[in-house]
Order: sequence, then C-alpha cells, then structure tokens
Amino acid sequence: MADAHVPHVAHPPSAEDILDGASGQADGPHNPAKQHSLLPKMIPHLDRHLVFPLIQFEEDQADEEEPPAELVQLKFELLKQTNMTDFVGDLDAQTQGLSERPAEYAQKREEVLQRRELFQEESSKLQDLLADPDVLNNLRSDKVANLNYLKENHGVTVEMVNTLYDFGQFQYSCGDYHSASELLYSFRILVNLLFTSTESTDNDKLSAATWGRLACEILTTNWESAMEEVQKVRENIDQRLFSNPLAQLQHRAWLIHWSLFPFFNHEPARETLTELFFSPTYINTIQTVCPWILRYLAAAVITNRNRNFGKNSGGQYQKQIKDLVRIVRQEGYEYSDPVTDFVRALYVDFDFEEAQKKLVEADEILRSDFFLVAAADAFKDSARHLISESYCKIHQRIDIRQVNPLLVLPLARGLLTLEQGSLQPPWSFAR
Amino acid sequence: MSRFFHGSDSSSESSEDEELSLGSGSESEEEEKPSTSGGGANRFLRGADSDESSSESSDKEDEEDDGESSSDEEGGKTGASRFLREASEESESDEEDKVTVVKSAKDKRYDELEGIIRLIENAEKIGDWSVISDQFDKLNQKLPQVQNAVGSTKTPKMYVKTVADLETLVNEAVEKDRVTPKKMNPIAKKGLNAMRQKIRKNNRTYEADIKAYQEDPEEFMKEEVVEEVVPTPKRAKKPLFAAPESISGADDDGFTMVGQGGKAMVYTPESILKHLRQIIESRGRKNTDRLEQIRVMEKLVDVAINDYQKIRVYLTLIATRFDLTSGTGSQMSQEQWKLAQQGIASLLELLEDNPNIVVIEGAEEWEDDDKQPAIQPNETFKIPGSVASFVERLDDELTRVLQHIDPHTAEYVERLTDEGALYTNIVRAQLYVERLMQDSSLGASQENLNRIVMRRLEHLYFKPSQVLSTLEDNTWSAIQGDSTITPRASSSDTTLLVQTLCSYLFQHAEGILRARAMLCQVYYLALHDEYYRARDMMLMSHLQETISSFDVLTQILFNRTLTQVGLCAFRAGLVYEAQTSLQEICGSQRQKELLAQGLQMQRYSQITPEQERLERQRQLPFHMHINLELLECVYLTCSMLLEIPLLAQVGSSPDIKKRVISKSYRRMLEYHERQIFTGPPENTRDHVMQASKALAQGEWKKAADFINGIKIWDLLPQAQKIKTMLAAQIQEEGLRTYLFTYAPFYDTLSVSKLASMFELEHKKVAAIVSKMISHEELAAALDQVNEAIIFRKGVELSRLQSLALTLSDKASGLIESNERVLEQRTQGTANAFERQTPGRGGRGGGRGGRGGRGGAGGARRGGGQFTGGALGNAIKA
Repeated sequence: MADAHVPHVAHPPSAEDILDGASGQADGPHNPAKQHSLLPKMIPHLDRHLVFPLIQFEEDQADEEEPPAELVQLKFELLKQTNMTDFVGDLDAQTQGLSERPAEYAQKREEVLQRRELFQEESSKLQDLLADPDVLNNLRSDKVANLNYLKENHGVTVEMVNTLYDFGQFQYSCGDYHSASELLYSFRILVNLLFTSTESTDNDKLSAATWGRLACEILTTNWESAMEEVQKVRENIDQRLFSNPLAQLQHRAWLIHWSLFPFFNHEPARETLTELFFSPTYINTIQTVCPWILRYLAAAVITNRNRNFGKNSGGQYQKQIKDLVRIVRQEGYEYSDPVTDFVRALYVDFDFEEAQKKLVEADEILRSDFFLVAAADAFKDSARHLISESYCKIHQRIDIRQVNPLLVLPLARGLLTLEQGSLQPPWSFAR
Repeated sequence: MSRFFHGSDSSSESSEDEELSLGSGSESEEEEKPSTSGGGANRFLRGADSDESSSESSDKEDEEDDGESSSDEEGGKTGASRFLREASEESESDEEDKVTVVKSAKDKRYDELEGIIRLIENAEKIGDWSVISDQFDKLNQKLPQVQNAVGSTKTPKMYVKTVADLETLVNEAVEKDRVTPKKMNPIAKKGLNAMRQKIRKNNRTYEADIKAYQEDPEEFMKEEVVEEVVPTPKRAKKPLFAAPESISGADDDGFTMVGQGGKAMVYTPESILKHLRQIIESRGRKNTDRLEQIRVMEKLVDVAINDYQKIRVYLTLIATRFDLTSGTGSQMSQEQWKLAQQGIASLLELLEDNPNIVVIEGAEEWEDDDKQPAIQPNETFKIPGSVASFVERLDDELTRVLQHIDPHTAEYVERLTDEGALYTNIVRAQLYVERLMQDSSLGASQENLNRIVMRRLEHLYFKPSQVLSTLEDNTWSAIQGDSTITPRASSSDTTLLVQTLCSYLFQHAEGILRARAMLCQVYYLALHDEYYRARDMMLMSHLQETISSFDVLTQILFNRTLTQVGLCAFRAGLVYEAQTSLQEICGSQRQKELLAQGLQMQRYSQITPEQERLERQRQLPFHMHINLELLECVYLTCSMLLEIPLLAQVGSSPDIKKRVISKSYRRMLEYHERQIFTGPPENTRDHVMQASKALAQGEWKKAADFINGIKIWDLLPQAQKIKTMLAAQIQEEGLRTYLFTYAPFYDTLSVSKLASMFELEHKKVAAIVSKMISHEELAAALDQVNEAIIFRKGVELSRLQSLALTLSDKASGLIESNERVLEQRTQGTANAFERQTPGRGGRGGGRGGRGGRGGAGGARRGGGQFTGGALGNAIKA
C-alpha cells in the first residue's frame, strides 16, 4: 500500500505475460497496429490506475461484442490490489464465468468502508483547520513557529499530517481521485508550511504526494493542474535527485510516460511538452530507457505543423523536424515503427514511395493507439504536406499523376495540397 | 648444553670440521668413539631426542654411518633411500636413555679455528689489516693443534679456503693501494704489508691444496658438505616420506645446507619459525643471497610438520622468489616463475584444505618463535599476508617477461602458455578471497577481491570468445570449488562471464577500477561486433571528459578501447563513425605511443632515460596488440571515403567553408600528388592513395580494385563481406564525387545514365541525388518526367570564375608581402611616414607595423576560401 503513489508499482507478474499472450495470439503479420503495440512496454512506467484506460481502449478496439477474456483477466490482475472492490469483484466474476461477484468481495468492501471511516475521522480535524481562515491567517513563513502554533493551539501532531497522506493514498486506491487530489494537496501545503526541507522522510512523501496528485489530475482529466504538477515533478527531479543519476533517469522516464496523457489530450500542453521532451536531459532519457516514445514525439512534431502555421514559428518547426530526424536516425538500430520509419524514409533516405507506404501503416497505428487516436487525421494531413514540400524542393518538373499516389489522395485534392505547400523552387506541372 | 643446540643460531659448528674428521682416527676423550663420523651420528641422535644427547652410539650405528658417508662421497645414493634407513635408525636410538653431554677435543679445536677465521673474515670486510695480521698469526699457531687433534697431517680445508681467499684479497688490496695510496691509514698499511710477506711465505706450504681450491672452489668444498647433509634430514620426522623427490632434487642442485658464513644450517620443525624470522629480517638488506634463502626454505617446506608451518614457509618463500627480480632491469626466469606459480598453487591448496587457517592482511603476527601456535579446529587462525598481492605480482612478472622477449620467437609462445596456469591461479585466488569475504568476522577488505576480479578481467577482455571458453574450461577443470560471483555453471557463456565480472566491479569498486572495468567491457563488446552496445556504454560512461585525470595505464586502455570501437564500426559498415573514433589515435603521429605498442623514436625527442624506462614498462605484451597496419589501413580507407567527396565539393563551390576531416590523410594525399611518377602500389598506404586518386576522377571501379587489393583485409573475420561493403561505399561516394566534380560541365544529366555508370539501382541514384539536393550540396533539381538531373547555372562557380578567384587571392597575397617588405625597409625611418614626437619614434614605428600586419591578416581571411588542392589535378587529368 505504501508505494501506491510511487509510480513504479510492483505489478502482478502475470499481467504483462497475459498481455503478451493476448497480443501474440491476435498477431497477424499484416496487422501493423498490433505488431507495434506499445502497451507491454509502457505498463512498467505507468501507475496501475493509469494503465486502466489504456487497457479499456484496447478492449474497445477489439471487434467482438464480448471483450476478449485475456483483457478482462489483465484488468483483473491489474486492479486486484486496489480498493475498488465492487469493480474488481465484477471482473473476477467475469473471468471465472460467475453470474455474481464472489462473496469475499463483500467482506473486503466492508473492510474498506471501515477503514475509510477511520481515516475520515482522523483527518477531519486537520481539514477543518485548513478550512478555517483564522488559522490560516496565523500561519507565517517561519516553519518552526507554525508547527508550534498548531501544536499548542490545535493539538496538531506530525502523525496527523501523515494521516492526511495515507488517507489520500487510500482514496486514490478506491478510485475517488477528486478527494484524493484534495487530500494530497492539503498534505503538501501543510508539509511546506510546517517542516523544514531537511527532514528527508517528509521529503520523500512530499514528492510521492506530488506524483499522486499528478495521477489524480490526469485521471480526473483536469489538464491545467496536471500540467502544474508535471512542472513540479520536473523541478523535483532536477533538484532533489541531483545526486542520484539512476533515480533521476527512472523518474524522468516515468514523467515522460505520465505526461503523454496531457500531451495528446490538452492542446496548450503540446507545445510545452514537446519542448520538455526535446530538452537534453529528457531526450537522453528517451534514447536510453524508452525509445518507443519517439513515436509520440514524431507524431507530435509532425502534427504541430498546423498549429504553428502563421504564428511565425516556422523556423522553430524546422528545427524540431531537424532534431527529430537526427534522433530517429540515431535510434534506428534500437527502435523503429511505421511512424519513425516514415520520418526516416522522408528525410534520411528520400525514398518517397517508401514514405508513402509507411504513411498508410502509420495511419493505422495512430488509429489504434490510445494517445494518438485523436491526432490521426491531423497527422495524416501534416505528413502529406511534408511529403509534397520536400518533393517539390527537389524536383523541377513533376508529373502530377505520379505524385498523387504518393499523397494517397485523389487528383484534385493533390493539386490543392501541392499548392498549399507552395515553395520557393520554380516548379511546373506536366499533365 | 649440547653443541647441536648452539648450532642453529650461534654457529659453533661448521660443515668443514665434520668433513675434516673423515677417516681420521679419533683421539677424543671419549674412547667409545672410534670414528669421527660418529659425531654426526651423535648429533643426529640428540636432535631426535631433542633434549638429550648420546655419546654412546652403538657400534652398529657407527658402522652404518661410516658406510653411509663413504657411499655418499661416491655420490651413488639417492636421498630417499637414505632417509628411509635413517628413519629406522632413529627409532633405535630413541630407545637409548642414558646420555651425557661431551664435546670432543677435536671439535673444540675446530671451534677455535673457526672463531679465528670468523674474525679474519670480519676484519676483511672492514679492511682492518692489523687485525687480520694478528689473527693470521694465531691461526697458524692453532693449525698444528688441530692437526694434532685430528690426528692427521692433512690441512683442514677450511684453513685452505681462508688462506687462499686471504691471498687474493691481499693482492687486490696491494694493487688498490698502489693506485690510490692515500686511502689507507698507516696502521692498516703496516698490517697489510706484514700480511703480504707472511701469506706469501705461508702459502707456499699449501700450494697444492690452494691450487685445488682455486681451480674449483665449489668442488673443493663440496665433499665436506655431502657429509653435512647426511645428518640433517634425519631430524625431520614426518615429511620425509611426503616429499622425497624434492629433497633429492635439492641435493642435485649442489648441497646447500651451508648457512651464512659457512655455518651448517640445521632444520627442525621447531626451528622453522626462527629460520623464517632470520630470512624475513634479512629481506631488503644488501648482500643477502636470496637464492640460498630460497633453497633453505625449500628445505623448510619439507621439514614442516603441519600446515601452519607450511603456509608460513610458503608465504615467505614466494615473497623471496619475487624479490629475486626486484630490480627494474631484470626479469624472472621461467624456472623461478614456474616455481613461484606452483608455490602459490600449493599455498592455495593448503588454504583450501584448512578452512580454519586464513591468510589475511592486517592479521597479527605470531611473535613467539619457539612455540607453535595451537590451532583450534573450530576457530579461525589468521596469518598475515596477502594472496591477492602474490597473484598480482605473479601476473606482473609474466607481463614483464613477455615485454622483453622478441614476440616472433618460440620462447615467447612458450612463456605465453604459462598464462593458462596464471589464470588458474587468479581464479583460484578469487575463490579464496570470496570465501574470506563471506565470513564477515574476518574483516577481509573488498578491495582485494576487486583487484583480483580486475586481474581476471584483464586476462579476458581482449580475447575472442573461442579462446576464452578454452581458457575457462581448462581453468575450471583444474580447480575444485565454485565461485559466487562467476559460478562454474555459467562459465561457458563468455560474454556473460565478462559482463558479470564487470557488473561486479561496477557495484563494488569505484574510481579507476570501475572505469577500467567499463573500458574492458566496451572493448570486449566492440571486439565481438556489438557496436551499438559498445558505443552506448562508452558514451554513457562519460569517460571522455574525465579520462585525462586518470593514470597513464587507464588512458592507454581508453585509447585501445576507442580504437577497437572504431574498428568495430568499420566492420559494421559505419564509415563515418569509424573515422571519428579512430581520428584521435590514428590522426596523431604517435599511435604507437598512445596504444603502448612500441616506442616511437622521435627525431627531436627530449625524453630523459627515466621517461623512456617508464615508457618501456608500460608497453603491452605483443599478444595484446592491435594490428597497427590494419588500423592504419582502416583509418585511411575511412578517411578516403569521407574526404574525397568533400574535396570535390569544396573544389566546386568555394563558399563552403574549408573543412578538414583528417589532416594526416590530406598530408599523405598531397605528398602523393607531388610525385611525378607513381609506380604500382606496394604497401597499404600506396593502395589507398591510388584508390583516392581514382575515386577523385570518378573511376570507382579502379578505386574499388585498389582497395580490395589490400592484403591486410584478410586478417579481418569475414573479409569478403567487408570488401563487398567497401565496394558499395565506393560506388556511392564515387557517384557523389562525380556529381560534385563534373556538375559545372553539365546542363542536364540522365539518372539512368548515372545508374549505369556506377552500376547502382535507379532508385538508389535518385535517393542519393535527392539527398544532395535537399541538403543543398548540389545546385540542381530533378525532372521527374524526363528522369534527369537539371543543374542550375550561375550558382556554382565555373572553372574560369574559380581561377579568377585564385588569381585575386594570389594578388592580395602579393600586396600583403609587398607591404611587409616596405614595413621592414622603413622601420628605422618611421618618422618619414608618421609625424610624431622624436622620443616615441621607435615605438611608433612598431605600432605602425603591427597595424599593417593586422590589415594583411584581414585580407588573407577574406580571400582564403579557395585553394586548388588535390582535386585541381584530378580535373586536369
């Protein structure tokens, strides 16, 4: 329980195996989406609650009426250790083919409710205090004085503050992300008010609370505050873990994976996160630990094109593309999927036919990817622009009938695209 | 007290007196003793009973002794049988109870004689001639007494030796005195002169004996020693049967039981520790005969009755063997090295058999030499020492030997085969130290284990995996036990083995060891064609930034690793990466020095002999070398593939900044260009240079032929694959070069024409051209309809234009030099140009000059973009 907010949760070992089995069975050689599914790779870097939507998405993608048994099993294994007893019970019933949930879950449920009561009681006082404006007014910047004040006037103890954290964790585990978020927020405020940063245990809890809150915000799709948390976590990693490069690397990898949620679901976040990913430390992390993130990075950079247009940031876009090409090329030996292959075909090998082939595949992948599904159309559009752009840059005379299949478009629209991507070199059409 | 007990430490007995008494009738106080050899028997008996001595030996024994000594003189008897008999004899003597301590008159005389000789020897050392003279007189007085006591007129050999030595010494001293007369004080001088007179007169009497002695001193003295050996082994009880061969071996060496100053050394289990102490104390002193000490200890090993003693003796013995070659110039002989190696092996074996005795650093020494420590079986007993250091030293010695042997001889190979035994020792020591580490109460230091693991790694990392698996198999079959770090079961997977060893060091070591482990692993990976893993590890180690702060050996390892990574990249077909990796090492003129593969004689080298000596010590043994010729070949080939298109590009468009990839390659190319007649290529360099020329002219086939004609490729595994790879690279780069070079002469160029010229796929040509256009290397565009390249004119300089540029460049250079001449001429008369106060004239001129030069520099910078270079010639051709 204690590590529920530390992102690296000890997963039940069977979960990934099952998933591997699941994707392995449905794996036809001609199914690029399944073949390039990143789920198994990403699970270790996500919290179990965050994995859930991904599996759900996988389930929705499946054609059959009934969700595949493997996925249900996977969900069950995933959530078994959480406090969402009702749901887990249902899942268990489903996997075992029972009509109703087994009796043990009712008992568990009781336990959970009891503990919840207990926590509620313990933490209510502090929460009341925090709600009390008088108390807040009396707090100063002097941490020791604050602690003394609260101790003397309201009988607040260190244990009580910690209870707040535990309760937050508990609520999170129950699936009540809103209240968990609030609890953790209060906890963090209190810690910041009361304790000097030298107390390392609280420091650990503090950062765990930040991670926990980030998860809560993501799960409640509260993107703005999620982005704030991302920022906080990032600072935390840079400062607190300064002396421990390995932990830094690990935490950065987590942050990268977690921030994929706001990355593709929250428009304003895209810009910031692209920058974050391209910053030297993070790009190094991607290259060393999780090269598959390149797919998302590539997709983001390519789709950014539309957004940036007219904002006088064409230069920056070019730079991003350049960086992307460099990294994709460097990592080619370690990771490749249709999206990165597309980038490579277009910018490294200048093989337009190959690029076009890859674009079709990439489109399929995007549509079956939890994060990228929304960006699939924008990606396809931007990718066509890119193809025509570099094609026109190189060619002086173009046979429009031959270009069209490259862009996977009917003739008229192809012309339009070419014109939109109108470029400096004097090119002429030969029909 | 009995004579024997003095014998071991205070020297009352010499081997000589035993010898002399041979065969002479006994006139001692003890009538029971018919022959002097009985003295030997007596001594033996005393030794056996350890505190009683018997002068009443049975007749039977005497006879036996007699017979024995005579037979020994004939040299017909082996040690083993002798001991067997002695052992039985000993049991008999044990039965005798009543013994009295008596000293024979003969022995007394001998003692006196010996005392005098000792005094003379001492005086010789300090050059005190007056004392020598006095003592010499006394010696001569005593001589008749001795002869009398022995009952023969034969001169004691001890006496002959002394006298003979004395004479030589006197002559030397006189000679020396003549050359440097002032050094000696008057009294000594007087003594010397007196001595000279006396000795000359005296020695005439013993001429025959002295002659015999001088001809072969060892032979002369030998006979007596033979006798001395006889009683000695009798004292040892147990080990006689355990190791008879080694004793007889020692006998064959020439009898060595004579201690310092010609004393007899007597060894008993009880006295072992004392002997060791003596030897240890004399360690590091001058004038100690280490070989002799070794022989003594070899004996002691046999004498030792329990494992504790054996271990103690081995510890000292091994250390002394290493001391033999403490000087920098000398190396250990194979024989000594092998003995040391065996010594370590037996030591480890003993330690493995006796888990309750541990050899560990920082243990307390056993102070009481007379008493043996009682070792309880259930508790561990610590002996100070370090197995790790021994193994390291053994390793170092072998390396040193290998450094000095000509690698092309059979001797080198022979010594190299010893590496297997060495490696076994290392692994064995590792097991031992691991065992110590497991017992936390011992407080064994992690550092030792790290060092051993590192040694082991250093024997592994540069070898291909087939060699490693053989080595490992042999090693594991030679030892028992299992290791926790590298279990026996996993020894077949060599990659895993190297990785395990490295990971162990990553976790437990720090600083240099960790860095070295990292480099070793990278080296190993690179050797086994795992380029990306090797490169990633190399980069992640961040050693490039810190390597300059490491010691020289680690820097050398770093260089080797870098080179190996480069070669690996080349084998993988990554020309650019290979060139960059190799640049630093091969680009410099000092690759031999950087890789520690031989001394480079520099023409104006300023290195002191001291530096040179250090340099020599660092050299790697030949079997670890990276083939320098192959290295050069790879480097030049990579440089060619990168430089030739670049030169072509620079030649055609001067606005690209002049960029040099490899200076040394350029230098060679320019040198090659300057040659008027070029014959067929002879060496690797010629091949690459001619290939470069061909490539620059667009004749890729010729270039490929030249490159593939290099014989050294065959040294690489999969040579054919590499040649194919190179041919493909040459095709592509040839195409690029062709386009760069001849673009100004074309308006349009059909893609299919290019494809057929360079025998490339149509698509491939299009891709290459597209890339060049996109990167704005080539001012052209593709025409999709006609399948052609259309070159844009006016962007690139035509031949005429670039010549014009060269002209203007030259002109500005001319102006510049003209200005400089003017400056020089007008230096004295600066006032003619500048109106200044008279006092500052000179300086003003100087400043003016500086200004002029600055301006010239600017002009140079402006016009310095274009030079004809090597490619100008290519176009002309």
